[in-house]
Amino acid sequence: MDVSRRDFFHIAAALGIGLPTLGAAAPTPTRLDQVGLKDIYGFNAKGKVTLLHICDLHAHIKPMYWREPSTLISAPNLTGTPGFLCGESFLKHYGMKGKTLDAYFDTFMNFDTLAHKFGKMGGIAHMKTLINHVKTERGADNVLLLDSGDTWQGTGLALKTEGEAIVKAQNYLGVDVMVGHWEFTYGKKRVRELIEMLKGKFISQNIVGDDSFADDYEELIFEPYTIEERGGAKIGIIGQSFPFTSTANPKEFTQGWSFGLRLDTLQTYVDKLRKEEKVDCVVLLSHDGFSVDQEVARQVKGIDFILSGHTHDPSPKPTVVNGTVIIIAGSHGKYVGRLDIDIQNHRVKGYEYKLIPVAANLIPADPEGVDLVNSLYAPHEKEFSEILGVTKNILYKRDTFHSPFDELINDSIMDAMDSDISFTPGYRWGTTVLGGEAITMDNVYDMTAITYPNVYTFEMGGKQIRNVLEDIADNVFNANPLYQQGGDMSRLGGVTYDIKVGAPTGKRITNIMVKGKPLDDRKIYKVSSWGGNLQNAGTNLNDKLTRPVYDITAGYIRKQKKVDISGNSNVNILDYDCGCPKKGSKSC
Amino acid sequence: MERRSFLKGFGTVTACAALIPTITHAADEAKKVTGPNEMSTESAIAAITGGKPVTASAKVSLSAPEIAENGAVVPVKVSVESPMSANDHVKAIHVLATKNNNTRCANVYLTPANGEASFGTRVKLGSTQDVLAIAEMSDGTFLSAKQNVKVTIGGCG
Repeated sequence: MDVSRRDFFHIAAALGIGLPTLGAAAPTPTRLDQVGLKDIYGFNAKGKVTLLHICDLHAHIKPMYWREPSTLISAPNLTGTPGFLCGESFLKHYGMKGKTLDAYFDTFMNFDTLAHKFGKMGGIAHMKTLINHVKTERGADNVLLLDSGDTWQGTGLALKTEGEAIVKAQNYLGVDVMVGHWEFTYGKKRVRELIEMLKGKFISQNIVGDDSFADDYEELIFEPYTIEERGGAKIGIIGQSFPFTSTANPKEFTQGWSFGLRLDTLQTYVDKLRKEEKVDCVVLLSHDGFSVDQEVARQVKGIDFILSGHTHDPSPKPTVVNGTVIIIAGSHGKYVGRLDIDIQNHRVKGYEYKLIPVAANLIPADPEGVDLVNSLYAPHEKEFSEILGVTKNILYKRDTFHSPFDELINDSIMDAMDSDISFTPGYRWGTTVLGGEAITMDNVYDMTAITYPNVYTFEMGGKQIRNVLEDIADNVFNANPLYQQGGDMSRLGGVTYDIKVGAPTGKRITNIMVKGKPLDDRKIYKVSSWGGNLQNAGTNLNDKLTRPVYDITAGYIRKQKKVDISGNSNVNILDYDCGCPKKGSKSC
Repeated sequence: MERRSFLKGFGTVTACAALIPTITHAADEAKKVTGPNEMSTESAIAAITGGKPVTASAKVSLSAPEIAENGAVVPVKVSVESPMSANDHVKAIHVLATKNNNTRCANVYLTPANGEASFGTRVKLGSTQDVLAIAEMSDGTFLSAKQNVKVTIGGCG
């Protein structure tokens, strides 16, 4: 891949590479592949301990494209704060320049153009080279690899192997400790089996038995914390799995287990680690979400570092709340976070952090990882590599209200079911397919591979539909982070509506139109839905129509051959002028 | 662990909501008071206190989830800081679901012999609302604590 000198300067600037040093070391590189790992990995090493952090891999063991959101709207009090930053507001907040490698990874801006220039992101073979480099530099015994969860689910490969392929990938990467969320959608029994296969530890302080007839009633299901010795220091790591797993995902997978934030017991474990276990550093390995963890840091005292996950935010700089340092490492294997900690006299004296972009064209692949990925994919290659069609415009997932790939899925469902309305989930995982490129079966699985994939078709009253929309909006736009569940709004087919995000609960959504006509509160509508539990709230479920969403979507794309999605949102935001508003503002 | 010590403090339980698992989701209906056991939150509080003032107090700790896993069975624990002596003890703990038609979920009567004033139950919540705990003290005062519990159909990830 040829890169101009100007591009290289952008890369250099983005990575903080001093040009004079480079000039002295070698002739000025003019091609991307002449930039060495050392140049990318420049780091002001500190102390003796390094925590490497990954989160929300969503089973993407191969390099991929992932476009960050161009609309990321929140309750007005949270607008423009870390966790609700995108585009220009993101760059300004973190003091970054556009069109650089970092800007390509962290924002949606010029994504199509920069994707052709900088290439794919992530992949375990590339991550491993990075991890090995740090372990060589710091000494393997001084490094911990911590995984904030949402690792076992998100691709066809993960689904077909019930998570096993991804546990093999974690073992290859050397994951030491993890927590979970989508992991639980394989069911309790399978979770236990996969934890057996995992070489690392699975911890959680916030999951307890809920069945009053079982032995584990009100007892912990997993070890709440682990103490790891690295670089001569005792690191106490407390696990926090996704607090709202049983609400956000079907309850049957975790029947008998109770989740929740459980900040009171969290405080107890922090105090116990400090006073009884005498650890030198307290880390919370969390799947709470970035915004929720900032609130956790306000309410729980004595945590040194929160390694967050769930909301998929890349955060190039740590966010510090009440002395607690919070980091989060994006999603889909795009980044590895490196946190060096200086511990002196049993206390954290200082730290250094960098969110390292896993640029697959810059960081060479570890051959062992390439072999592993190939062997894991081989049995499924024929199915996954089928080209279903070609997309004219870019297809992506992330956005608060609407995304082109979800529009395509909704079109598929509406076409197959002949429904008035279709609901698809506002998950934050998926994939990106560049304009002009082929859509493969693997891409469809990237968007839909879950253990409860069925599209259900049933009836709902107009008023009920309105209430459901308000209910979902209150989970996404609640002013109190502790009442948010960290997803985006459900995507709707056949419907347009207006929303005032800052309006009170139950009064946000107006002007709902179904196929161009105002929603009638008394009318019964034919609704299709997947990925949630809406069918339980509806009536007259038509079982004969029930089919997995990936079959419906693949069939529709095969039929279309050329996919042309407009990308125009079906949602009109009344109280913001743009998708990436600045702090305290309604505009960008 | 904590369950055992907490069970020791059990008092007498009366009149709790029936624990029927159902799909619950946010209702936007205004509360309609019609049935024989149904009363407004204000009249329920008045029935407990006889019209005396209720003071929010850090002595009363109410533990409930921020978001209900199942609105039909929401675990609620109440404990009140008290020496539980003959002269200074908690006489009763009342749990109220402020937006349920049947507001009064539990009335627990205690004596110094209980040793500690703590109590746990599960309440059914019809919609997102405040759960209110009122402690009746032996000196005739009423202390309270409340927490908002969100009841949602959920479904994001």
